[in-house]
Amino acid sequence: MSRVRSIPRQHLVAGLCLLALVLYPVINPWQPYPQGVMLLGFMLAIQACSWNIISGYAGYISLGHSMFLGLGSYTVAILAIKWGVNPLWLIPLGGVTAVVIALLIGSVVLRTRGHAFVIITIAMLLAAQIFAVNFKGLTQGSDGITLELPFWDRDYQNIPFYYIFLSLLVLTVLFTAWIRRTKFGTGLIAIREDEGKAASIGVNTTRFKIVGYGASAFFIGVAGGVYAYYLTFLNPVGSFAILGSVVIVLAALTGGKGTLYGPVVGAFLVQLTSEAATVYGGGSQTRVLLFGSALVAVVLFMPAGLLPTIEAQWRRRHPVTVEYTDQAGALGHGPATTRERALADVAVQADGQSQGDVLLEVRGVSKRFGGLVAVDNANLTVRKGSITALIGPNGSGKTTLFNLITGGMTADSGEIYFDGQRIDRMKPWERGHLGLGRTFQITRLFKEMTVQENVVAPLPDSRWRTMFADAVSGHEAARARELLDIVGLGRFAGERAGALSYGQQKLVELAQVLMLEPRLILLDEPAGGVNPSLLGRLTGVIRELNERGISFLVVEHNIPLVLELCDPVVVFSRGTPIAEGPPGMIREDPVVLDAYLGDDWRPAPVDDAAKAVRASTHRGVH
Amino acid sequence: MTQLVQALALGLLIGGVYALMASGLALIFGVMRIINIAQGALLILVAMITWWLWRKTGIDPILASVITTPLMFGFGWVLYRFVVSRIRDQSASMSVLLTFGFALVIEGVLNVVAGNRFRSATPSYFEESFRMGGVSLPKTQVYGFIAALVVLAALYLILTRTWTGRAIRATSQNPSGAALVGVGAAGTAALAFALGTATTGVGGSILSVLYPFFPASHYDWISRLLGIVVLGGLGSLPGAMVGALILGLAETLTATYGSLRWSTLVFYLVIMVVLLFRPQGLYGAKLREDAV
Amino acid sequence: MTASSSARSLALSGTRSNNPRRHSRMLSLTALAAVGVMVLAACAAKPSEKAASGTSKPLVVGISLPLTGDFSQPGGEAKRGYEVWQSMVNAKGGVLGRKVELKITDDASNQDTVVADYSKLITQDKVDLVLGTFSSLLNYPASAVAEKNAMVFVEPAGGAPKMFTRGFKNLFFAQPATAPHQADVFVDWIKSLPDAERPKTAAYPSQDDPFAAPVIESMQKQLEALGVKTVYSAVYPADTTNFQTIASQMASKKPDLIAQGAVFEDGVGLIRSLKQLNYSPKMLFQTSAPSNSSQYSDAVGMANTEGVFYTVSWNEKAKTPLNPEFVAAYAKAYAGASPAEDAADAFAAAQILQAATTAVGSVDQSKIRDWLHANTPETILGPLSWDETGAPKGKFLLAQWQSSTVEVVGPADAATTKTVVNPKPGWK
Repeated sequence: MSRVRSIPRQHLVAGLCLLALVLYPVINPWQPYPQGVMLLGFMLAIQACSWNIISGYAGYISLGHSMFLGLGSYTVAILAIKWGVNPLWLIPLGGVTAVVIALLIGSVVLRTRGHAFVIITIAMLLAAQIFAVNFKGLTQGSDGITLELPFWDRDYQNIPFYYIFLSLLVLTVLFTAWIRRTKFGTGLIAIREDEGKAASIGVNTTRFKIVGYGASAFFIGVAGGVYAYYLTFLNPVGSFAILGSVVIVLAALTGGKGTLYGPVVGAFLVQLTSEAATVYGGGSQTRVLLFGSALVAVVLFMPAGLLPTIEAQWRRRHPVTVEYTDQAGALGHGPATTRERALADVAVQADGQSQGDVLLEVRGVSKRFGGLVAVDNANLTVRKGSITALIGPNGSGKTTLFNLITGGMTADSGEIYFDGQRIDRMKPWERGHLGLGRTFQITRLFKEMTVQENVVAPLPDSRWRTMFADAVSGHEAARARELLDIVGLGRFAGERAGALSYGQQKLVELAQVLMLEPRLILLDEPAGGVNPSLLGRLTGVIRELNERGISFLVVEHNIPLVLELCDPVVVFSRGTPIAEGPPGMIREDPVVLDAYLGDDWRPAPVDDAAKAVRASTHRGVH
Repeated sequence: MTQLVQALALGLLIGGVYALMASGLALIFGVMRIINIAQGALLILVAMITWWLWRKTGIDPILASVITTPLMFGFGWVLYRFVVSRIRDQSASMSVLLTFGFALVIEGVLNVVAGNRFRSATPSYFEESFRMGGVSLPKTQVYGFIAALVVLAALYLILTRTWTGRAIRATSQNPSGAALVGVGAAGTAALAFALGTATTGVGGSILSVLYPFFPASHYDWISRLLGIVVLGGLGSLPGAMVGALILGLAETLTATYGSLRWSTLVFYLVIMVVLLFRPQGLYGAKLREDAV
Repeated sequence: MTASSSARSLALSGTRSNNPRRHSRMLSLTALAAVGVMVLAACAAKPSEKAASGTSKPLVVGISLPLTGDFSQPGGEAKRGYEVWQSMVNAKGGVLGRKVELKITDDASNQDTVVADYSKLITQDKVDLVLGTFSSLLNYPASAVAEKNAMVFVEPAGGAPKMFTRGFKNLFFAQPATAPHQADVFVDWIKSLPDAERPKTAAYPSQDDPFAAPVIESMQKQLEALGVKTVYSAVYPADTTNFQTIASQMASKKPDLIAQGAVFEDGVGLIRSLKQLNYSPKMLFQTSAPSNSSQYSDAVGMANTEGVFYTVSWNEKAKTPLNPEFVAAYAKAYAGASPAEDAADAFAAAQILQAATTAVGSVDQSKIRDWLHANTPETILGPLSWDETGAPKGKFLLAQWQSSTVEVVGPADAATTKTVVNPKPGWK
């Protein structure tokens, strides 16, 4: 009994509904009409759930998704006639065709970000219709294809279809739930929340999107094959109508896109309402108007969908207290063994390189934005095992340089080498897989995912096995929890990342980077917004990680921290380094002081020198 | 030979009209990154209004755009201020869904009010053509082309010579920069949207004469327009012009020399090929890189 | 269930609740629901069991029509045809002594809806008889539903050849011929002309429509066998609105005969484009467009209808049984309008069903079906008979617009006039 109680409530409700649906034809077998309405609802739910994978999870809206239904129908019908086989044997092939087409389209259009995708999905739907009309030899054009009637007794009519569609729906939901549990799922959501950041943590966004699009096509193709047998007649206009795609979007949106059961609930709502409108309303002339108004209403007033809105209402009545950061734990009073093991996990494997070899080399890199030269023929070297600081006035090009190193931007000229390998032409995730990690000046977490999911999301390598590893339990998840413990946020694993405070988010971001098993971490103003005692802990963590082999390149404005922690210190001004050396030397260098403080600055008396520097830098050269 | 000249002439004439219709879409996307899927439905709405005006008052359909253009300007402005602006800060996909919903609402209303029959405005010169050499140019196409040119020229002047126009261009290139120099972003956005919908005032009037239409025709039109702006480069007005001419020619030439059936497919083939090799289109700029 | 339970299960949704009470409440609710459903379902009957037909209850005929959507125009006409039949039949006492009631639903020109509609009419509403919907595209899936339920399906439209290759036993097409044979009567007329008057060259543009295209295809084959040279042949998509390219290509070849597979708008569009190019062929044939009486003549201009040929299943002036009464009743009901062909076909479909039901004396579907296969009922379209696939064995009428009215010029026994306008005059 306690096992039952430990299942989340939403799954229990879903299970009960499934039971009711399974039993319905057993209890009430001789009514093909309601069964017909229900099975069309199942079919819509299959499509909406599948749509959810690419458009709900990954955020790439597809407005032509019913195309896969038509593709599946045509494939199965054509082959069934050609081979003289009952169509039901061939329905997996409908899925295969759908996936192949999705992969082909995806590989052309998903290589870039932006709005081309939604336009292409509409265009492809209309193009599919034209193909079906014109490839007469294959599809019999506008005449359409007719199939034989089902072979079972007419008393049972719709019952087999009912169960087939219901089974497909269950499979689709299970499939979607499984995807959500894997790093593939967290990667898709990462892409939706912040595609650039996803790329920087090792998510191969192109591959994920294409696979996601393909995954969103399979079950629809299979359902299409069954649908062909149900209708016994196919034609291009009916199979590739745009209203079919509209209804999918409406269903998923109404129920809640991005949730597991939202599309199913939405599909039933839409199907039953539509049928009721036909039977009781003034005919279906108003169907287009009904769907259009519903879509507008949902987008304006309930964009999250029904299920999330209900859940939000529920939360308002049953709030959960937010806990504080386990600062004590973070400050070193937690179980030492856990930390030791976690840190050991993070340790870098020896790779034959010894301390002091060049790890990162930037050669003659330049970047302009129109007339503004942000980085001007810059050279920079980071040695293995070092904590190198990069300081300089605002606008000197430090963050731009970071972006160039990690792959967020392409340099206009110059080369970048990481561990001897040239990386300036590589995609951001490839650089991540090589061991290059980075945190951001303004934290970029995936707000809608939980903290644990945020930390599990990064992929340290490009293997397919990693992509499909379980993110909720198992090795990856355990590692993520340990990393969270290092930064003291273990208790927050189940919280929504967007609910955390700024400082807490910074710590999560650090844990994220560690998940990449990096060899070099670029920290962009790590001390900003972190309270002083935690700052000490942060410095300690950096030092411990450094001792285990991780190198750091730190951009910071907190000069005392820099002088204490880092060696060497590189000073950047107007897009190029102007000085480099150990902290003590940099403090005194007149060129540096001039660049930072202006040429009318005079050094204060010796015993106040340190205070003066601290004061001037804290007042903000920002 | 005359067949070629005829095909080229027809292609250019229709390309000009396509350019007008696509300009609104390109303008709206350029300024606020919204793909206004309702643009096709607005064209049909205007065509229906023009037809009704022509039936009731006998006014020349193309001249009726004098009435429909300010009407659509106001309609677009109101639509933006009270509906579209609400979801501006949400993801781009939401605005796509919203405008898609609008398109369906407009289609549905037209279905209920006007019924599902083909309509076409047929003024007196409807079946006449200008004849030059062996080439025959239907008067409706020529007048439509002239009207399109006039409006495009006016649009160009507005965008380059007036302060409003410059404000619109500034906002489209750099919203925060524009705000810094005193361009009110919300007001400018509303104006740009309204300007974009105003172009349908003329485009739809021309449509009513050129092609028979019914409420569901908007899908054909929006897919053509989307193809044009993708070819030209999302957000680029000159790109939309060039793209429209190219696609107008391609469509007519395919219909003349290839097969009629494939001429509609040309649009989609072009989109796919362009995206394969040049994802930003002919004139499109790459996304701002520090958006990473 | 124990009273002590942790809320750990709900950690992810972050709520606290009383688990044991919720569970027991849910279980009892479910049990109640299950019992309720079972009670409701206990008295349902199998689909194969027909409702007993009491003689005093009205005879219900179930029909789904595209009253909205793409086919709304012919759908609306068909509805009128059915309703005129109903009022005429009920005025004479109904069928089998029972008043006829029509249960008409709107399928919005949508396949899924037409399937659901007929499914509901047959299995839920348990209508006594069904009549077909409009357009082959809708009749395909609709007839499948009827066949599954062993109901006779008489359809007023849907003559595409594939309708009759499925081995259906209960299907009957209520027009004189299927699409491939529709143009035979025109070919016969051309054969009847002396060599000098026959067309030498012909152009065949056709819409990609399952009903119109086979007509023109078959005509092309037959005329080519006669020696008429094909100078242009093309199929254009259904949503084509711009006919300039087609028109200019044809005009450059100057064919004697243009035979277009035209549904309606495309027929009007082609004529407009031909006028713009100032090319008028010696003979013009269009499949269905010219049958739309005043709409057609308004659209192309009355003067330009002169000499246009088309084939039709019905003519207003035909001397077939009940035809004058039909025309009169229609005019009375609809403010003096004259019936469209679709209305007449619907009326004929209903007549067929009525004849069989009356002859058999009951609504037994298998008896009705057998009777129809063996007999030739009289309708306003003339006598109709079918082969075992449900395809009719008759000939269409060849009609021509002459002096602003439509005349039947062939076959000879149905002709309303001996004159045939040939060649067609130029455009006005």
